[in-house]
Amino acid sequence: MPRHLLTDFELMILLAVLRVEPQAYGVRIARDIEGATGRRVLLGAAYAALERLEANGLVSSIIGSATPERGGRAKRFFRLTPRGLRAVKNTQQALSAMWRDIPQLKEKLT
Amino acid sequence: MTRRQPPRFALALLERLVPGSTCMAGDLIERYEQRASRWGIWGEVLAAIAIEWVHRTDEIRPLRLVDLQPADAIERTRRFGRRGSTINLTGSPVYGIGGLGIAILLPLMTLVMPAAWGLFIGSIVVGILLGVVMISMRRKRLG
Repeated sequence: MPRHLLTDFELMILLAVLRVEPQAYGVRIARDIEGATGRRVLLGAAYAALERLEANGLVSSIIGSATPERGGRAKRFFRLTPRGLRAVKNTQQALSAMWRDIPQLKEKLT
Repeated sequence: MTRRQPPRFALALLERLVPGSTCMAGDLIERYEQRASRWGIWGEVLAAIAIEWVHRTDEIRPLRLVDLQPADAIERTRRFGRRGSTINLTGSPVYGIGGLGIAILLPLMTLVMPAAWGLFIGSIVVGILLGVVMISMRRKRLG
């Protein structure tokens, strides 16, 4: 059976969730990706990816308590499931396998 | 110190048009408090609505006329946790605009662009004709 591999954005999302856990909610996840990659992350795109990942059983979410600073709206905290962690590892292994033995990539960047 | 007021209409639009977006609205308020501009929030909201419309999944048989549904439809409905599609009976194809919206729009159209009435009535006639043709073709095919 083929392993579940992630798209680049899904991989970034899952890595960000791992990096900012247990405070992995929309703004923190988006900020972490923006800080690490310099890529602007739309919250709508992040939530769409997170919902897809949740539907596939790679992340789970719980709703926190509502806070006045957020206009009485709660935070939705995400965490990786064991299946999500396995998908991250599988993707890393697949990418590493493709990286190996490419002379152009062994040269130092100037 | 006074707190910045996020664009409330944008947030209301988001929560109205994107189901289950309350937490995202909270995130947008937090983002706005930190650094984002009003235009930035509007951009986020419009992008979220566009993404929702692109990725919207509907059940294959929204009317639930039969108990036996394709396994795929049941699975998709379960996975995305969506409720069955509702039928729009408001006389308006635009979600959230009902009879009152139409009652406001029609006099406005008469005032601003009366020529549009021709297009409006023409589209109704063409729609009815198209419906009649489709029904008769389907009846003929089913014998």
